Amino acid sequence: MSKDLQRPPAELRYADELAALRAEDTDPRPPGWALSLAAARRFIVGDDRGVSRKFVGDPSLVDRALVTLATSRGLMLVGEPGTAKSLLSELIAAAVSGESTLTIQGGAATTEDQIKYSWNYALLVAEGPTPRSLVPAPMLRGMAEGKLVRFEEITRCPLEVQDCMLSLLSERVLAIPELTGPDGMVFAQAGFNVIATANTRDRGVNEMSAALKRRFNFETVFPIGSYDTELGLVEREAARLLEQSGVAVAPRRDVLEVLVTAFRDLRDQPERLSTVMSTAEAVSVAHAVGLRGWYLRGEAGTAADIVECLAGTAAKDNADDLARLRRYLEQQAPRRHGEQWQALHAARHLLPG
Amino acid sequence: MTVTYIGVRHHSPACSRLVAATIEAIRPAHVLIEGPADLNHRLDELLLGHRLPIAVYTYYRDDERVHGSWTPFCDYSPEWVALTVGRSVGAEVRFIDLPAWHPAFADRRNRYADADHRYRAVTERLCREFAVDNVDTLWDHLVEAVPDDELAERLTTYFDLVRGETVAGEDDRAREEYMASWVRAAGGPVVVVTGGFHTPAIRALAVGKGPWPEVPQPPADAVGGSYLVPYSHKRLDAFTGYQSGMPSPEYYQRLWEDGVGGAADAMVEEVVVRLRKRRQLVSTADLIAARTLTSGLARLRGHEFPSRTDVLDGLVSALVHDDLPQPPPWSTRGTLAPGTHPAIVEMVAAFSGERLGRLHAATPLPPLVADVTAELERLGLDGEGPVTLDLTAELARSRTLHRLRVLGVPGFERRSGPSSGADPVLDEQWQLTPDDGRLPALIEAAGHGATLASCAASMLRSQIPQAGIADLATLLFDGALCGIDMEVTAALADGIATAGELDALGHVLATVLGLWRHDRIFGTAGSPAFEPLIAAAVDRSLWIMEGVRGGPAPAEPARLRAVVATRDALRHAGSVLDISRSTALDVVARIAANADAPPDLRGAACGFGWSLDAEVDAVGALAGVSGPRIVGDWLAGLFAVARDRVLSDDRVIAVLDDVVSGMSEEDFLIALPALRQGFSFFPPAERETVARMVVDLGGGSARSLLRAEVDPLVVARGMALEATVDRVLAEQGLL
Repeated sequence: MSKDLQRPPAELRYADELAALRAEDTDPRPPGWALSLAAARRFIVGDDRGVSRKFVGDPSLVDRALVTLATSRGLMLVGEPGTAKSLLSELIAAAVSGESTLTIQGGAATTEDQIKYSWNYALLVAEGPTPRSLVPAPMLRGMAEGKLVRFEEITRCPLEVQDCMLSLLSERVLAIPELTGPDGMVFAQAGFNVIATANTRDRGVNEMSAALKRRFNFETVFPIGSYDTELGLVEREAARLLEQSGVAVAPRRDVLEVLVTAFRDLRDQPERLSTVMSTAEAVSVAHAVGLRGWYLRGEAGTAADIVECLAGTAAKDNADDLARLRRYLEQQAPRRHGEQWQALHAARHLLPG
Repeated sequence: MTVTYIGVRHHSPACSRLVAATIEAIRPAHVLIEGPADLNHRLDELLLGHRLPIAVYTYYRDDERVHGSWTPFCDYSPEWVALTVGRSVGAEVRFIDLPAWHPAFADRRNRYADADHRYRAVTERLCREFAVDNVDTLWDHLVEAVPDDELAERLTTYFDLVRGETVAGEDDRAREEYMASWVRAAGGPVVVVTGGFHTPAIRALAVGKGPWPEVPQPPADAVGGSYLVPYSHKRLDAFTGYQSGMPSPEYYQRLWEDGVGGAADAMVEEVVVRLRKRRQLVSTADLIAARTLTSGLARLRGHEFPSRTDVLDGLVSALVHDDLPQPPPWSTRGTLAPGTHPAIVEMVAAFSGERLGRLHAATPLPPLVADVTAELERLGLDGEGPVTLDLTAELARSRTLHRLRVLGVPGFERRSGPSSGADPVLDEQWQLTPDDGRLPALIEAAGHGATLASCAASMLRSQIPQAGIADLATLLFDGALCGIDMEVTAALADGIATAGELDALGHVLATVLGLWRHDRIFGTAGSPAFEPLIAAAVDRSLWIMEGVRGGPAPAEPARLRAVVATRDALRHAGSVLDISRSTALDVVARIAANADAPPDLRGAACGFGWSLDAEVDAVGALAGVSGPRIVGDWLAGLFAVARDRVLSDDRVIAVLDDVVSGMSEEDFLIALPALRQGFSFFPPAERETVARMVVDLGGGSARSLLRAEVDPLVVARGMALEATVDRVLAEQGLL
């Protein structure tokens, strides 16, 4: 069934690797964990014996993240958008709990119902509050089953909703006042913990309280440091996406080089674009470039396509960003050498406005 | 003959323990150490009883090159341990490497810098295999944080693997040949302590028997020597500089003294004390979390006691409740990046430590002291009181004093003198005061060089990486005053390329351009060293200029100076720029036409193009910005950059005359302050020319226009009062 899924969760995508790791895992496991720490680390950073490398950041970051989850503090992954925070949290959940779908997507509309529990109102009216009429949300399930819960974009939630996490994280018990007897208290089983992600660009929208911060260890996920690694990743991912989209030619290496270099230049500039020039964004531009090239002209895509796609994806509708992008194409692009850079410079008029 | 080879990593406590244990067990006849062979007859000087860290500084100068380098020792250096333990068991101890002046060391500033960057392919693979961030962590993981069992075999395996089949460079080959020739000559039980990357090669080369090798002598016409200087942990730390040793010297010092567990505890305490001193909140709960994380990480990574990065990782995870602006330096293996989180800065500083070396009182004084004394005497500057120097004739005296000033030697104070390359001041005032602090300051400074000139040069250059953009101009001018070629380092160009402030950038560009164009006194005119800086500053200025946005606002003179500096660079130094004239003119044309840019910048951009003979319609542009709130500021920009053009083309003044005449009384009062500021860019003689143009348009006398009998401010205030009276009268229906 997983063949037709657009994006199966990590535990399905890498089911074979997880099974193999579990089979040969002899190290001690923290209570409630599906894998030992060492095996979980191998699942994420890969090894040369059949486990693929899924996360290209520092191995020490993965170490710290895993050890944090084995303690009583939650893990908070922070960083610019598009630095693979969500991917990392998904991989960790798949490795540690064997399940990465206990996910709360934070947003302005997130309510306590979506975090703790709600009711099946038909049953509630018919039977009154019983365990049968209770609809558990990810936190309740995670605590009852001893699994990792992922809380995406926690800083996008209103403060009062964030605060409902406080007692869950420190007392490790969820009270359901409507139920009586032992059903009214759900104690967290071993293996339960929370991985939250927050985006530094959203800072100030709903600043986390010091009390909540204290219950998490912070790990910052950085953009990929090495040019070669990033280029390799963009090339691999773009090729995969293009294949899925039915494009028969692989993206051109020299075009991708221009694209990745331009993204890194724009990212490293002291005056940043308001859009994040992340690796994920570079992959999506590379994908769009390939699509344009193939479906409009039957070839792999050129530097001129980059300019067209940048206007839509990188500059979005921000006039300042567009101006910065134009400045980059006008002033910096002509000083680089190479045919594709000249093509990029020559195509600067394709920017709108 | 039995030879025991110990391949070490420089500054590794584990290797030092192995060296000490091996020498004590074997009690060899000879201990041969990687170190400068020309120092063999002065080993007693090293063993006088200094407080470490100290270093041997070697300087060398011939017709072709100037070179200075250090051979640093700390308590836990394997080389130092071999030296002291070897002596104590009665072995004949010798340094066996080429002298530091030898051409094989031409590219190296630190004899004991790590060589592993030459073997990156292998070390990167190892790091991937062990899932560690970098080779420092790998080393801790394989050697420092685990028990010493079979350490010798582990080291041999590691270095054999890393060195592998790699062919050494020419420099390394020369050194390895030479070291092997010493091993061949030594009889009886021998212990050889060398960098692990060299050991496999030396072992292969040291076959058979040979005579004691000669110590190479420097060429007869060369000047050079070696002497001891105090060193510091800060300079040993790889996080603070290029070609240092291992990172975190204080940590390894503690590890050497108290073992892995003791070092971890001591460092946690040190970090917490430092953070609390900085009024950072470190709660007991945080400490418990740090402790849990640290031991968890140690267990995950298979360490009995937490290693260096286990401690650092645990601390950063538990104590920092924010996102980090920069990755921690121990994961990237670089120096501290600007903007690093303050808690991490404190952690790195705690792990680096403040330990300073001190030389024993009987150590011979470094040559710098004699050099300075002789030079001051020769130039008649050894007295006290005020000294006046004529720079055209007494440049040498001025340079000596400036060099002492930048070295921070007390008692040399400059009272006055030129303040920039284009400053037409030709003499300097100094005040000399004898001071007891001079000798210690000179001994301290001797670690940077053997002569005053080389010492000041290296001091100034070492400040470049930390200098903010605003300090760069000062540093460069200091370089000119001291008569030192400031080589343009990548750090300097980087600093300019990432500068955010147009004002500071303009100041640097103006300084550099001034030195490059004018400075014949200090001999910097046309110096190619400045050219990349000019190019980088022009690029960056244009980049920032095009991004400035803002509505009507008073003209900013600093910003306008930056535009002038950029224009001057384009006009006078066009040949050294990366950016083409046409690209630059396109940029300013876009700024001039951009209604969102502040008016002074638009006016300046217009003047920029006009003064470089681009096709600019300044008259038309002026007509477009004739609103009373912007016209004055726009003109300030135009006049700052292109006032000669305005004088040679009377149409601008004519249009301006029309604009001002057409203003209502109230508009005129609004525009007046900015207009006055704009015209202040003209010197008095030119103001008269402008006045004459106005007179030609309307009649009257130019002189009387300029020499008003009443202060113009009084006139303006009077006009404002009259306007108010008129308005009140009109409101009351009395007019």
